[in-house]
Amino acid sequence: MSAHNDENRPDEVDLSDPKLTRFEVYREGLRRDDIEIIHYEPRFPKPGTGAEKRMERIVGGLFLGAGLFATLFVVAYIWWPWEYDGTASWRDPQTWYTPILGVTLGLSLLLFAVGVLTWAKKLLPVEELVQDRHDGGSSTEDRRIAESTVDTTVEDMGLKRRPFLVKAALLGAAPLGLAAVAPLGGLIKDPGDSLMVTAWNAERYNDGDPVGLMMKDGALVRPDMVSVGGQITVFPAIEHGASNEFANAPTLLIHLREQDAEKLRENLYPMYQEVDAMWGNFVAYSKICTHVGCPASLYEQQSQRLLCPCHQSQFNVIDNAAPIFGPATRHLPMLPITVDEQEGHFVATSDFLVPPGPAFWNRPSLPEEDEE
Amino acid sequence: MKRRNGNADSLMTKAGGELDDRFKLARPARVLMNKVFPDHWSFLLGEIALFSFILLLLTGTFLALFFEPSMAHTTYEGSYVPLQGVGMSKAYESTLDISFEVRGGLIMRQMHHWATLLFMASMLVHMMRIFFTGAFRAPRETNWLIGILMFWVAFFEGFFGYSLPDDGLSGTGLRIMEGMTASIPFIGPWASAALFGGPFPGDSVISMIYIFHVFLFPLILLALITVHVGLVFAQKHTQWPGPGRTEHNVVGFRMFPNYVMKQVGFMLFIWGVVAAMAGLFQINPVWLFGPYEASVVSSGSQPDFYVMYLDGLIRLFPAWEFRMAPYFTLAPVFWPGIVGMGLSVLLPLLYPAIERRFTKDRGHHNLLQRPRDVPARTGVGVMVIVFWLIGVVSGGNDVFAETFDISLNAMTWGGRIGIVVLPILSYYLTYRICLGLQQHDREVLAHGLETGILMRDPDGRFYEVHQPLAEPDEHGHTELEYSGAPVPKKMNRVGALPPTDKGFFKSIEEPSDNGGTSRDEIEAGHK
Amino acid sequence: MAASAKRRRGWRKRLGALARFTGALVIVGGLYSAFAPSLYAQEAEDNAIDSEVVKGQELYDTSCISCHGDNGEGVEGRGPSLIGIGSGAVEFQVNTGRMPMAAQGAQAPSGEPVFTEEEAEWLGAYIEYLGGGAEVPDDLEILVEDADTAEGGDLYRVNCSSCHGFAGGGGALSSGAHAPDLIGVSDEELYQAMLTGPQNMPVFADNELTPEQKADIIAYVQYIVNDDKDPGGVFDLGRFGPSTEGLAIFLVGISALLLATLWIAGKS
Repeated sequence: MSAHNDENRPDEVDLSDPKLTRFEVYREGLRRDDIEIIHYEPRFPKPGTGAEKRMERIVGGLFLGAGLFATLFVVAYIWWPWEYDGTASWRDPQTWYTPILGVTLGLSLLLFAVGVLTWAKKLLPVEELVQDRHDGGSSTEDRRIAESTVDTTVEDMGLKRRPFLVKAALLGAAPLGLAAVAPLGGLIKDPGDSLMVTAWNAERYNDGDPVGLMMKDGALVRPDMVSVGGQITVFPAIEHGASNEFANAPTLLIHLREQDAEKLRENLYPMYQEVDAMWGNFVAYSKICTHVGCPASLYEQQSQRLLCPCHQSQFNVIDNAAPIFGPATRHLPMLPITVDEQEGHFVATSDFLVPPGPAFWNRPSLPEEDEE
Repeated sequence: MKRRNGNADSLMTKAGGELDDRFKLARPARVLMNKVFPDHWSFLLGEIALFSFILLLLTGTFLALFFEPSMAHTTYEGSYVPLQGVGMSKAYESTLDISFEVRGGLIMRQMHHWATLLFMASMLVHMMRIFFTGAFRAPRETNWLIGILMFWVAFFEGFFGYSLPDDGLSGTGLRIMEGMTASIPFIGPWASAALFGGPFPGDSVISMIYIFHVFLFPLILLALITVHVGLVFAQKHTQWPGPGRTEHNVVGFRMFPNYVMKQVGFMLFIWGVVAAMAGLFQINPVWLFGPYEASVVSSGSQPDFYVMYLDGLIRLFPAWEFRMAPYFTLAPVFWPGIVGMGLSVLLPLLYPAIERRFTKDRGHHNLLQRPRDVPARTGVGVMVIVFWLIGVVSGGNDVFAETFDISLNAMTWGGRIGIVVLPILSYYLTYRICLGLQQHDREVLAHGLETGILMRDPDGRFYEVHQPLAEPDEHGHTELEYSGAPVPKKMNRVGALPPTDKGFFKSIEEPSDNGGTSRDEIEAGHK
Repeated sequence: MAASAKRRRGWRKRLGALARFTGALVIVGGLYSAFAPSLYAQEAEDNAIDSEVVKGQELYDTSCISCHGDNGEGVEGRGPSLIGIGSGAVEFQVNTGRMPMAAQGAQAPSGEPVFTEEEAEWLGAYIEYLGGGAEVPDDLEILVEDADTAEGGDLYRVNCSSCHGFAGGGGALSSGAHAPDLIGVSDEELYQAMLTGPQNMPVFADNELTPEQKADIIAYVQYIVNDDKDPGGVFDLGRFGPSTEGLAIFLVGISALLLATLWIAGKS
């Protein structure tokens, strides 16, 4: 059995010999597994010494300690007040429920672990053994036999003699594989223009009436609701307009200072000038970052920047929210707004002129964008 | 073999006999129990991943009893006051209920999350050990491939788990995933629509990733782990070079009882650490994030650490967008997000083949290499680690900027420059350090150890006395060949001085009452 | 060069202080009443003899004027105009130690206040006198007591968390600026900050968030930041989110287990 004969190995023993000790039988097993003992001796040469007893006491103590903490865990789990009642300062016992459970369970597991490990390290015999590895492939004999076995199988099936059958099977199996994955087609949905049209589109979502700007609680936004240097998040005033159903619609309405508004009016892209996108000193930018779609909503009212907290793109509020730092490449689309003469609240005069949010593969780049 | 007095021994014999009659176990059981394992601390790193995975299955099953993977709208009426009356999805509500209404639910949630972080972190550390010691070389390339695949399955498993609670943070993560998916050429918008069942966020993505998270991915992981561990078992573990250790043997201790006891002990230890961390450190306090709303984001929004390097790359990548108006747009996130991730999967998978190409080494290797002996590989490894670290730091650059009062823009520029320059620099430095260490090894082998004793010869020159490691020739040189094993560098390593403490907690030199063992006897025990 | 410029500034400051101390009340009062509504003019006259305003102006002219200019009109590139910001903003900036600023920078950091609360009130009175402004309601305490925390949470997440973070830990802004954390900030300071929009913070005046809504936000912030003990552990890891959690798993978890592997595989 052994790959190479090692002179140090003990000879094979006769297992029928009644005089064999248990250890000799055991060592014969090791020999048959190509294992040789280099070093093997009890940890404590003289059994029953004080040191051994002490080690046993330590390990025993660790196990008992583990049991104690496990008991504490169960007791705390059942009897410690745990229900969260709203007031939760550090004096309230229920805020300590999780720490107590974690620490008792953790200590119990750790003590048991240290007990087992100490047993292994301090009480098991000191041992070092060598085993043969038998690395590499099988013997040439085995390989030859296996080869002819495979060949016989191939021959029996006639795979070489019947090429037509093989081809037909392959031709039949390919569509079958296709049929197996075809039902996944149920997942496929046409994205249509969902990435380009938002809920600000009056024709599609509001029977052609311009969509109003509302706050999250549904209140329509009037100019006097945003003070100079202030901003609010607005949503299309349609049903569920503020919900996640219209995740591309959230918009930031900013009331600029006179001098900032003046600068923005000077910088305004032609496409926004044409539709008169600003109303007075008010401007509305899509809140969805043009990088990957986080809400770019950190408005710095002095440096006039909008920062996206996900990837740190920064947009210049007084220059069409054009990107000035970070990975974003396009400006935040401006929502053309005006104030409804009769009702006195803001409405969007149209949807965003360019698709809001992150770029996608078939995003149409309008010629207007090249004028930026 | 029947005996009248049914003592424990004979009962065992009887039970064993019955089992063997049916399953023919005597021989395989013996082979298993006798199997020899090499012993080294670095061989235990993979076990951290294995045992935290088992803990993940246990705690995850508990959580699945209470979690509701639904995006249906509901109004919170639980006991956490600051969210009462707030509209949210059922997924988020049930996560809050696990935290506040289920007895012991919060500790389970926190253990699940800490175990996840430990699972990912230990895989990285384990992977580093395999890489730097060359354990991936033939015949073990298959296991390296399986390991890399497992890491990436676990990566998505973890990211999906992070997304399930549907809180503000996980929704932001999904939003970024949507942006990345939609940027893929040709199929992007369609893939995104398939994932979210229409426009983002839709109302089905939670239940879809739930089945991946609790069934498909764990199943794949379980299967891969079985093959992974099975291959380690069948191919036998690698070992460090040393006296008596060859390519054709394994030196160590038996599976039973030594190895198994250490494994069980280590498993409990790992679980204990996770449980204690879950009790001491609050993790992912979803009740603070609030429900996901498309218009809401928190400053300092980050993914879990294993995704953070990818997020960092996305933050650092310059604003390059390719447009061919009006046909298509290639978003800047495509390069770091999709191509970057693709390369992160592909390059590690190919590494063993690439290295073989350069070294033309086709032999089997069962002895590990010291990192210093393969400077190029070690350099590449350090390079990757530096690259990864800069990515991770950049993934949290807003938190760094705020905590250490650095400009955010400076952090970004530092990252952009650093991620190009520092890996190259670190490759060069590592290479030089490896060569230096190699040279010192050779020097000690040729001239002996530095004793620290300075002498002055009659000419007035100072020289240090060296202790040769073998009988020197007439020039004071020793002809010792480097074997790949550590070379002794201190006098006490060769027994010329009293040994330094070897014990872990206290000195084993301490006189004890086990019959008055002398130092010689202890040293003999170490040989 | 720089030193002489500094000296010149100091000399000018002293001379200016003297000149203004005699003339400012007449000129400012006169100028202001020309533009302000009659109600304010009436108040201005009343305040003109108010010793608080005089004391406030004294402080202003020694500590604030170099950046904020004569009569709070602002200096281009150094400090914004203070006209119309009201006493709430002044008291917020001064009581939190943000003003006076030690050096020009991206952001005025909070710190030890230089002036006493009384002096801050004087300064506030002076700025108030220059141009009116918003006020903290007197019944703020009652408003906060009756506030709806959940409502406040909703408003906080939409309006505040993008800069101050989900748990009020603050956050980085562009180019070195940052939104400060809200730990240990009093109700009054929170209210003043929302009302006046200090530095880069947008203004949340009463027409955007009613005093009741502001009180809701204050109640929520105090609940999560200052009152609530984290139920999930002894340490909250700074509530930074996943970044400190990632650090903890390596520094605590992996470190502990690496020590364990060394012990387990070590010679015994």
